[in-house]
Amino acid sequence: MNGLIADGDQMATLVAAIVTLVVLGGLLGERRAFSWTQHLFAGLATGYLALLAITEVVVPRLVVPLAADPAGRLDLWLGVGLVATAAAAPWVPRVVAAIPISVAIGSLAAFALGGAVVGTLLPQLAASLARPGPDLPATVGSAAGAAITGLVLIGFVHGAPRGRVLSGAASAGRWLMLAGIGGWLGYLLLSRLVLLIDRIAFLLGDWLGLVG
Amino acid sequence: MSERSARIAGPLLLVAVLAVAVVIRGDTGLRLSDPEPGASDALTAVLDALPDEPTVLIGFDPDVGTYAEIRPTVRTLVADLAARGSRLAFVSLTAEGRALALGELARLDRLGAGPAALRDLGFVPGAEAALVALARTVAGDRALGDGEDITDLEAVDLVLVIGGNDLGPRSWVEQVVPRIPAEVPIVAVSPSVLLPEVLPYVESGQLAALISTPREGAAYRESVDLGPLAGWGEAEGPAALAVLVGLLSAIGFLGTGVGSRVLGGLRSSRGRERA
Repeated sequence: MNGLIADGDQMATLVAAIVTLVVLGGLLGERRAFSWTQHLFAGLATGYLALLAITEVVVPRLVVPLAADPAGRLDLWLGVGLVATAAAAPWVPRVVAAIPISVAIGSLAAFALGGAVVGTLLPQLAASLARPGPDLPATVGSAAGAAITGLVLIGFVHGAPRGRVLSGAASAGRWLMLAGIGGWLGYLLLSRLVLLIDRIAFLLGDWLGLVG
Repeated sequence: MSERSARIAGPLLLVAVLAVAVVIRGDTGLRLSDPEPGASDALTAVLDALPDEPTVLIGFDPDVGTYAEIRPTVRTLVADLAARGSRLAFVSLTAEGRALALGELARLDRLGAGPAALRDLGFVPGAEAALVALARTVAGDRALGDGEDITDLEAVDLVLVIGGNDLGPRSWVEQVVPRIPAEVPIVAVSPSVLLPEVLPYVESGQLAALISTPREGAAYRESVDLGPLAGWGEAEGPAALAVLVGLLSAIGFLGTGVGSRVLGGLRSSRGRERA
C-alpha cells in the first residue's frame, strides 16, 4: 500500500511488519522490544546521515572540486579550515574556536532573518490590517483578524505598568493564543491519526493481504 | 480488571476498531473529500495554465511522521504532472526528505518513468543558503553548485513544494519567492499540522495553491483523470470511517480527562465546605 517496497519483496515487507508491530506493542506496555527498535532506528539513521554526507556532500562538493583544481578553490580551502578549527575547538583558544561557530550562526541568521522579514513579517503585517472586503463577512473577518492580532501582541507585553483595560486585553490575547495552539494540536492529532491508520492498513494490506 | 489490564485494553480496543474500519472502508457511505473543492480547483487552475511539456522543480522535503497523510495526494499530483508531459526535477534540502525522495524515485522507476521525465537533483546542503542558491538557479543567475548539472533548470515553469519538514513551504516563500520571476508560481502540498503556518501565504498570494488537509487531498484526487498513468497515483486515502472513529476516540479521551478533573474539583470544594 505504501509502495515504497518493491512488489514481491516479501522479506522487506515482513521486516517492516515486525518492526511496526513492535512499535505498536509500545502502546501496550512492551518496552523492551520497543526500546530495541528505537536503538535500531537511531543506528540506521546515523548510518544513513553519514552515507548521505559522504556521497552527496563531501565527495561531490569538496573532494572532487579540490582534486580537479586545488589552487583555484580558495573558498573550499577556507571552508575546510573553518571545519578543522571547529573540530579542534577543545584544544585551541576560545577566541579562535568561536570563529567557525560565529560564521555558521551569522550566515544562517542572515539568510533566515532576511527571508522572514521580506517573505513573512511584512506581508503578514499588511494582511493583518483591517480593510473593507468585497462583502460584509469578509470585512468582519478582516476586522476580527486585526483585533486578534492586536490582542495577542498585547498579551506579550511584559514588565510594563498596565491598567485594568490593558490587563484585560492581555488576558484575552493569551486565551486567544491558547485557542490557536489548541487548534494546531487538533491538526497534529489528525496527522498522527492518519499515520496510525496507514500503519494498520499496511499490516492488513501489504502484509496480510486482507484489504486491496 | 486490574489497572495494567485497563491500560492495555484501551489502546488495543482502539487499534482493533481502527482495523475493522480500514477493512470495511468502502461500505460506510462516508466521504473524505471536501464538498467545496476550492483548494483543488486552485491547484488545477495553476496546472492548466502551464505551457506544454513544462519543467517542474519539486522541493521534496516531507517528514516521515506526516508523509502518510499527504502521500496519496503527492503521488497523484506527480502522476498528474507526468500525464501533462512535465519534466520533473526532484531536489531535497533535508536528509529525511532525501530518504523519502529516493523511495518515491525508485517507485517511479519501477513504474516505468524514464530519465526524460525524471531528474534527481539530489540532496542540497545548506538550509536557507541552499534555497537561495536554488532560487538563483531558477532565476537563471548561476548554476546550483559543484556536482550538479542543472543549467537547463533556467526554464522552470512551476515550483512544487512537498512540505512537512523544517524547510517547507514557508522557507520556500521566504527565500525563493522574492528571488524568482513572478510568472513562476509556487504550489505546495503539506500535512494538516502545517496548515495554520502556511495558509496565510495562500491568502497573501505568495503561494498559488495549497493542498493541506486530507479532505482537500481527496477532493483533488477525485478531480483528476490520470488515464494510462492511473497506476502512478494513489487514489485511496485514509479510510474515512477510521478517521472519524479515531477523532471521536480522541475527543472522548480528552472529554473524560476534563470531566474527571471537573468532578475532582467539585468534590474537593464540597469537602472544604463540609469541613
